Amino acid sequence: MHIPDGILPAAVSAAGYATAGAATWHSLRQINQKEDPRESIPKASLLTAAFFAASWIHIPVPPTSVHLVLNGLLGAVLGYYAFPAILIGLFFQAVMFQHGGLTSLGVNATMMGVPALLAHFIFRLRNVVGKESRMWTGVFGFLAGAGGLGIAALISLILLVTTIPAHLDVEAERASIYALTLAHAPLMALEGAFTALVVLFLQRVRPELLED
Amino acid sequence: MNLGLDEYAHLDSPLHRWEPRYKLVGLLVLAFAFSFVQDPRLLPAMLAAAFALYVVSRLPLSFLLTRLRVPGSFLLAVALLLPLFSGSTVLLRIGPLALREEGCLDLLLVVTKFIAILTTGLVLFGTAPFLTTIKAMRALGLPSVLSDMTLLTYRYLYEIGDDLETMETAMGLRGFRARRFNGRTLGVLASLAGSILVRSYEQSERVYKAMILRGYGHSSPPHDVAQARPRDVIALGGVLTLAAGFVATEILLRGFGG
Repeated sequence: MHIPDGILPAAVSAAGYATAGAATWHSLRQINQKEDPRESIPKASLLTAAFFAASWIHIPVPPTSVHLVLNGLLGAVLGYYAFPAILIGLFFQAVMFQHGGLTSLGVNATMMGVPALLAHFIFRLRNVVGKESRMWTGVFGFLAGAGGLGIAALISLILLVTTIPAHLDVEAERASIYALTLAHAPLMALEGAFTALVVLFLQRVRPELLED
Repeated sequence: MNLGLDEYAHLDSPLHRWEPRYKLVGLLVLAFAFSFVQDPRLLPAMLAAAFALYVVSRLPLSFLLTRLRVPGSFLLAVALLLPLFSGSTVLLRIGPLALREEGCLDLLLVVTKFIAILTTGLVLFGTAPFLTTIKAMRALGLPSVLSDMTLLTYRYLYEIGDDLETMETAMGLRGFRARRFNGRTLGVLASLAGSILVRSYEQSERVYKAMILRGYGHSSPPHDVAQARPRDVIALGGVLTLAAGFVATEILLRGFGG
């Protein structure tokens, strides 16, 4: 899911930085409207680190195991801090572990962060139907998790298929986008189920974590 | 706070001595100039420039090699697909598979650019302590919310990672084995993820109180911005000229190539 350096044309990388910049600016504006924006910084930072660590948890799917992206869960818990959190997480992954890259950081942050913000709005819909209800918390947790991953996968596949193999024909491009998106459906279900279970856990243990 | 990046930050080389703000701007522009290149004729010069930087930085070769290995899987997938499916000029046919010229050139381009940009990035982040680089970003106008969050995340990243490892060990000692995929396994792992979130949330409340006690948020400390020396400016000028050279040559070559 992380696009490395060297794959995308410079124009796409620059456009990625522009969209990531705009999304960060919008998020920071929302954050700065809080009474004391600094109060939430330690919480958002430690949760960013925790999400980073939680993405190392491997789910056994014999014969292999998968690790989750958790961008939908991140959106549900961190709200507007989700975008800066993802930007920072991806920056660390690029400079420390060489997952993703410096020039593709903007593209990767947009790809993961914008769906996280959408997941935040999806999850907030539970306030409309009653946030005390465990069923609705689970349902919107599932939708946030599955939607966060699904939209991110769709953006990344469209980017990869339309930009890398410069000599593929349009029909083959379209077919491969459909096929690869469909291949992500089981992962979306898994991500959604996991997100639903985590938000239900949080609702039981520390409901204020879901208040943002 | 040593996560491998700072390992060689104490060495002494012209790149270690280069003022961090100038280094940040110069090397990022160079990395973007590399990503602009599409003409295969520029690739040798690009690799030469990146490796020359690396040699000047005096970082050991092993530092680069271990990091080049990590993202191999993605590149491997691209490497297998591109030469076979992209393009129309067939170089070699083995049964149903055809090796195509355009695909091979695309592959060469992707891999070379990847190595050149990664090398530049390693020089940028490997030749100064991480804290210094973040301070340089702050001095260049990175919003304080982002720089504070970056530093705090960096501070607690491995601590929370260790917490997670301890919890996984404890689960293992109590008989949990994540071998089969079923609802119970997923539930237990979700509780593990939830617990690590709750623990870091509780820790963040203590961290925030400790920070307030130390005066966080009341006055921002003056930036200890070092004065740039003439050689910092000259080095920046040199690197920017190099980057402009790559972009200009690429545009010229595209013009000639139609």
